Amino acid sequence: MLKLAKLINDKDNVITALADIAADEEVKVRRKEEEMIYRCNQDIPFGHKIAIEDIKKGDRIIKYGEPIGSATQDIRKGDWVHTHNVRDDYVVLDKSGKPLTS
Amino acid sequence: MNFYGYPRPDGKAGARNYVALIPTTGCVNAVCYQIEKMIRGTKALPHHQGCLHPSKDTEQVTKTLIHLGKNPNVAAVLLVGLGCEMVVCEEVLSGIRKSGKPVDLLRVHEVGGMLDTVNKGAKTAADMVLQASTIRREKFGLEKLCFGTKCGSSDTTSGLSSNLVVGEVCKRVANHGGTFLQGEICDIMGGEYALKKLCVGQVQGEKIVDFVRDLYLRGLAMGADVRGSQMTTGNVAGGLTTLVEKALGANAKGGDVPIQSTLEYGDIPKGPGRHIMNVPGHGFENLTGLAAGGAIIHLFTTGRGAPNGNPILPTIKICGNRKTNATMKEHIDIDVSSITSETETLETEGQRVYEYAISVANGTMTRAEILNFDGTMEILINGPVM
Repeated sequence: MLKLAKLINDKDNVITALADIAADEEVKVRRKEEEMIYRCNQDIPFGHKIAIEDIKKGDRIIKYGEPIGSATQDIRKGDWVHTHNVRDDYVVLDKSGKPLTS
Repeated sequence: MNFYGYPRPDGKAGARNYVALIPTTGCVNAVCYQIEKMIRGTKALPHHQGCLHPSKDTEQVTKTLIHLGKNPNVAAVLLVGLGCEMVVCEEVLSGIRKSGKPVDLLRVHEVGGMLDTVNKGAKTAADMVLQASTIRREKFGLEKLCFGTKCGSSDTTSGLSSNLVVGEVCKRVANHGGTFLQGEICDIMGGEYALKKLCVGQVQGEKIVDFVRDLYLRGLAMGADVRGSQMTTGNVAGGLTTLVEKALGANAKGGDVPIQSTLEYGDIPKGPGRHIMNVPGHGFENLTGLAAGGAIIHLFTTGRGAPNGNPILPTIKICGNRKTNATMKEHIDIDVSSITSETETLETEGQRVYEYAISVANGTMTRAEILNFDGTMEILINGPVM
């Protein structure tokens, strides 16, 4: 039986592993009534993210239907998506919209 | 399903029927503890505030004490003061009295020490309990229900299961005309712009951004970038990549339900639906703030197993971690690991948790109540302790 991954929002370009997954292993994802299969390019631990489409450097990573950061390098479908290839774009802004943080 | 609650003189309905023993200063907690031990049906609401605050904090503590007394789970209130505290006892007394509930006040300096105050207070509390016990549950619509929510001792499963399930509950609460209070500004940090989009008015959305900025600036004044303390090494190891991702997982407890208003700490919302309150994530101040806001049931999601409740707010622990559901069974009310294993849908589990929460409102006891793991609380202050 294939291991499972979770798609939280239909707009997402990543899924989350619901078990530890080995490189070259396939995972099954439920998307409404459909089931999708993706092959993982690297080992993916439980709770970590897998790209379900090619994401270009600078493009946004979408989870919960919202951008959670942007790709610091080209990411291929099936790649492990984490701090090594994603930048946190979050900054705290002052009242006038100027960044308070780096 | 219906809600069978205790009718209150102000038209609200309670899930519980307690006589609250409220100290106006932390100096007299001991008096309240003694009376609580002696008189069945009472609940002490211990805290450590009430004195030596800047005036804004005194106002916040006073308001919170009044609103706790007004909480529908409270049938009557015995206030215990010392006699020299900054909180003005009469102000709390008259504030609670407006709700039409029985309320009385004793001051330890006036009575002349703890022992006589306990004696007098216990007699008053006993009469209040007798009177409260004559109140019968009545049938009310689900619009009378006011829920609070937070996540604590979270792990990877929280943003993948329990928080999403509570988001489904929030939808149902809003559809039935009920009220839903959410806060944890530290956890919103990074997700404030996503919440802003859900606000019915522009002003409210800006206010959420202000709440987060204020928290960030208070951290900076202490020399800390609180973004760093929010995102832990454990979070990264568990699979969270950015602070925004973590925040969106926490925000998910309200799903995409529109946000009607923003509230300051302990404020009571003016209408139904989802509201964001300026409360911290720390459980003691969080649950107290939401109880002051009128919550009568709390949906508390956890991954590793947070055991605490609140004296007057029945707290339902919801967990999506299969291991925790086994090892911390005595503390968990609802197992939603079916979401982590993808054997149930969010709709099914959301409906199950909503129905369970209504049954808790109708009298089913929570694990925290059964274990007496609900005796600790705190009121938020923002300024220095003098």
